[in-house]
Amino acid sequence: MALSPTIANERFYKLIWPYRADVLRVARMLCRDQTEADDLAQETLLKAFAAIERFEPGTDARAWLLRILRNARIDRIRSAARESSNVSLDAGDFELPSPEAADELGDDPEQILNAFSDAQIIQALQELPEEIRMTLLLVDVQQLDHKEAAGILDVPVGTIKSRTHRGRAMLRQALLPRARELRWVR
Amino acid sequence: MNSDNPQSPLDEATARRLARLRAMPIDTSRLERMIESQIARPASSPARHWRLRTWRAVAASLFVFILAGVVMWSLSGGSVQASPDVMARFHDDLVSGKVAAIQVNNIADANTALATELRKIGEIPDVPTEHAMLCCMRTIDNKRVACVLLRSEGNVPVTMAVAQASDLRMAHGEKQVVGGVTYHIQRSGNLNMVMCERSGRWICLIGALSTDKLISIAGAMEL
Repeated sequence: MALSPTIANERFYKLIWPYRADVLRVARMLCRDQTEADDLAQETLLKAFAAIERFEPGTDARAWLLRILRNARIDRIRSAARESSNVSLDAGDFELPSPEAADELGDDPEQILNAFSDAQIIQALQELPEEIRMTLLLVDVQQLDHKEAAGILDVPVGTIKSRTHRGRAMLRQALLPRARELRWVR
Repeated sequence: MNSDNPQSPLDEATARRLARLRAMPIDTSRLERMIESQIARPASSPARHWRLRTWRAVAASLFVFILAGVVMWSLSGGSVQASPDVMARFHDDLVSGKVAAIQVNNIADANTALATELRKIGEIPDVPTEHAMLCCMRTIDNKRVACVLLRSEGNVPVTMAVAQASDLRMAHGEKQVVGGVTYHIQRSGNLNMVMCERSGRWICLIGALSTDKLISIAGAMEL
């Protein structure tokens, strides 16, 4: 049943609006271009408003929003022919890093990882395939559980688990050249 | 950290680093303007809810009024004291990377990165003699404090903390007056700290340097 404009507005600003920063953050980490990210965030919130009558109060608004963001992102990619080379909706195209490469962050990898700035981590994230990146953003950055992430990405829970593990290794591999350049590792 | 299944220590460390991105400061003002120009904020409630909302509003106002009175009676001027141990922890957290921080190359970058948060505090003063590396926002009893990690001579890290002068009180203790500015001196472990008030801002420098050196750095600030 359609909501009145007043109730729709109230519901949007009460239940959805508090998550606008999360939406913008994920969009900025997902997209390499900031303008594109801002457009994606705006589109996500507008689509959420348009679908507000389908949102059930009391359920997870953040997960609902991230699903909308994810779908909007896919629509944008599919409609932009020039983006097709950047898209690997099949995350299996990429080679799993060798265990030696992934683990060469020295004796204290946590210290090395913490020494990277947020901007450097995001830059490395943006080198990863789309689906791997999105998985890490949902599971590790947004702290959704595997079942929630699987629901958003329409894949089995097992796929989320394997993508998370591979994605973290790929992220470390992407950071390794910079760590060597800075002489944080040999 | 998402603890859905057992992970290797390396995986856990990577997950923890990624989790910090969720706290990364972000300016939503442009997004807010764009959305609010297209989706009107709700109008006031219909009349039939007026009485209930009014009584709730009255009760809430009374509660806030009484609470404010108690708070004002128990505190002087609504400000909080920045204890040396808290400031030392801010410094250690920045140096060790335990807090989510933004990498910057200079103070101007830090002011840009924290622009939304700095509206009430005012800009972080430039310190031309030192190199800025990281910045972040912290809180002491809900009072906002901007922190910048500087690299001083000999690669010694120094944290400059800046807050609104009306929000933070100087800790009691030794004072030195240099160049017409009163510096309050504190220590915590191997860290010295000097606090001063300048141009409406409370400023604290923390580091494993002599207080004379910290005061010299403070004296080079451009406000």
